[in-house]
Amino acid sequence: MKDPARPDTLEFVVGSEKKLRDLLNEQEVLPLLKGAVRAGASGVMISDAADAVMWEHGTSVNSPLYAVQPFSLEGETIGKITVSGSDGNENYLKGLLCLLTDVVQTMLHNNLKRMLTTEMHTRVVNQSYEELLKSNSLLAVSEAKYRELAENLEKKVQERTDELKQAHARLLQQEKIASIGQLAAGVAHEINNPLGFIASNINTLQKYIGKYREMTEYYQSEISRIPQTARMQTAAEQKWKELKLDLISADIDDLIRQSLQGAERVKKIVSDLKGFSHIDEGQEAVIDINEEIDRTLNVLTHEIPRDAEIIRDYHPLPGFVCNPALICQAFLNIILNALQARREGLRFVISTDMRDNAIIVRFSDNGPGIPELIRSRIFDPFYTTKDVGKGTGMGLTVTYESITAYHGTIEVESEPGTGATFTVRLPLREN
Amino acid sequence: MIEYDEIDRRMVLKLVYYGPALSGKTTNLLVLHDLLEREGRGDLMVLDTKDDRTIFFDLLPFFISAPSGLKIKVKVYTVPGQVNHDATRKAVLQRADGVAFIADSRIAERENNVESFSNLEKNLEIVGLDIEKLPLVIQFNKRDLPGIIPEEDIRSVWSPTGIPVFMASALEKRGVIETFGRLAEMTFDSIDRRYGLQENHGLDKAAFLEKLSLSAQRA
Repeated sequence: MKDPARPDTLEFVVGSEKKLRDLLNEQEVLPLLKGAVRAGASGVMISDAADAVMWEHGTSVNSPLYAVQPFSLEGETIGKITVSGSDGNENYLKGLLCLLTDVVQTMLHNNLKRMLTTEMHTRVVNQSYEELLKSNSLLAVSEAKYRELAENLEKKVQERTDELKQAHARLLQQEKIASIGQLAAGVAHEINNPLGFIASNINTLQKYIGKYREMTEYYQSEISRIPQTARMQTAAEQKWKELKLDLISADIDDLIRQSLQGAERVKKIVSDLKGFSHIDEGQEAVIDINEEIDRTLNVLTHEIPRDAEIIRDYHPLPGFVCNPALICQAFLNIILNALQARREGLRFVISTDMRDNAIIVRFSDNGPGIPELIRSRIFDPFYTTKDVGKGTGMGLTVTYESITAYHGTIEVESEPGTGATFTVRLPLREN
Repeated sequence: MIEYDEIDRRMVLKLVYYGPALSGKTTNLLVLHDLLEREGRGDLMVLDTKDDRTIFFDLLPFFISAPSGLKIKVKVYTVPGQVNHDATRKAVLQRADGVAFIADSRIAERENNVESFSNLEKNLEIVGLDIEKLPLVIQFNKRDLPGIIPEEDIRSVWSPTGIPVFMASALEKRGVIETFGRLAEMTFDSIDRRYGLQENHGLDKAAFLEKLSLSAQRA
C-alpha cells in the first residue's frame, strides 16, 4: 500500500525473505570470531548458503584440520561456520564450533524477531500517524467552520434582527394602512349622507329664498302704485333700511354659493381619502402613478405651507400593477418629509418619466438636505432626527420596504444646504 | 504470494489464520507444529505476546521441493484478533495466498465472529484481494466447550456460500490438520492454475500435500 502523496511511507510485506546480510552485521560477528581465535582456533569463517565467505578471522590456509556446522533461519539453512585449527585439537575445536553456532543461531533468531516487530511497529505507527493526520485535517476543517460561524454570529444576529425589525415595521404599516382605510371608509360613509342632504337643502333653500325675494319685490312695486299708502311706504322703506335688507339680499347669494362650494370640497376630500386608502380595492390593481401622486398631494393639502411652490413635471406613464395603498403610502412619506423639511419658501418639484422599461419618479426639495453621515441610515427602522414623540422613524423605512417589494430602488442625493432628491425607480413587470 | 524468483527457483507462499480474539489461532499453529513431521517444517516463531495474547503474529514455515528444483516455502501466519490491532492484521493479510478463518463456536461469541469476518472482508478489499477467488476455509473451534452453536445451524448458514467449514477442538487436536489440509489443497489449486506447478515443475497435489506431511495424517 504505497501512498504516492507520502513517498517516505514504509512499504513492507510481512513475510518478505531476509538475507543473512540483513540479519547479522560485522560489529556483532567479528568480536565472536576474534574470541574463537583467541580461544585457540587458527581461523574462523562464516559463509552464506551459496558458500560465499561473509566474514572471517585468523588464517585457514594450511590448516589441516577443520570442522563445519550449518545454521538456519526459519528452518532453512542460511549459512555455515567453519573452524580450522591444528592437529590434536579436534574435540576442542568441535566444542568451540558448537558454541559458536549456537550463539550465531540465537543472534540470528533474536535479530529476526526484533526486525519483524520493529518493522511491524513502524508500519503500524506510520499508518496510525497517517490516520491521525487525516482526522486532524478533518478536525481542522470543521474547526475553521465553527470559528467562522462564531465570528459571524454577531453579524448574522444583527442581520436577522434587522430583517425582523423590517418585517415588524411592514406589519405595523400594513395594519396602519388597514385601520386608516377602515376609518376613512367609515368617516366617508358618515359624512357623505348628511353632506348629501345639506347640499340638497341648500339648493332648495336658494330656490325658496328666490321666491320670498320675488314676493317682496311684488309688494314693493304694488305699494308704490297706491297713493293712499305713502305713509306706509315710507315706514316700510324705513324698516327695510333698519333691517339692512339690501346688504343681506346681496350677501345671501354669496353665502349659499360658498356653502355649496364648501360642501363640494368636503365631498372631494372624502372621496380622495377613500381613494387614497384604496379601501374599496383588492390587493393588486393597475394604477396611474401620476394620478396617485396628485391624490396624495390632495390628502396632504392642510400640510402644504401657503407659500409653497409645488411643481408637477409629469410625463405620460403606462399602468403600473401594484397594491395602490402601499405605493401611495410610499410617496406620501417622501412628500411629507419634504414638506416638513422647510416651512417657508419651499420649492418642491415632482417629476415622472419612463426610462429603460421602468417608471422614474423624482422628488426634489430645497430644504436643508441630508448630511452624508446619516444618509445611509435614513431607511433604517426607528431612525429619526425628530424630537422624541414627533417622528416614528418608520416613514422612509416603509417607503423603502414598499418600493423594494416591487423590485424597485430608491436613492437619495443631497447637497447639504441646497436640498435633497429622492429618486424612485419602479421596473415594469414582464407580464 | 510473497515472492517468486524464477531464476533462483524459489517461491514463498503466505497462509493466514484470521479470526476474532481468543478463537484459538495460535493454538492451531501450535498443534500443527506438534502433529506434523519435523522434516520439512521450520520452528514455530511466536512474536512478542502480552498476557498470552498475540500482539504481532506467529509464524510457522514449511518447505517443499518440486521435482523441477523449485523450492516452495509456505509461511503460515496468525493475526492478532483484538480489534485495536487492525493495522497489524492488514499488514499480515497483504499478499496472502489463502486464509483460514478460525471462529469461536460458543453462542456468546457469535457477534464477535460476525464482526471479525466483516473485518476480514473489509481488509481483503483494502489490500486488494478478491474474497471470491482467494482460497478460504472456515473452522469452528472449541467444539469441546458447552454452549456452542449446533453444527446443523452452522452448516445451514455456510453451505450456501460454498466455503468449506470444519468443526474443531484445537486443544484436543481435532480438526486442525483437516482445516490446514483443505486450505493447502485449495492453495495448491490456485497456485497451480497460475504457475503450472504440475505442468512446469512436476509437482502434483498429492506430492504437495505429502511434502506438507499431510497425506499420512489425513488418511
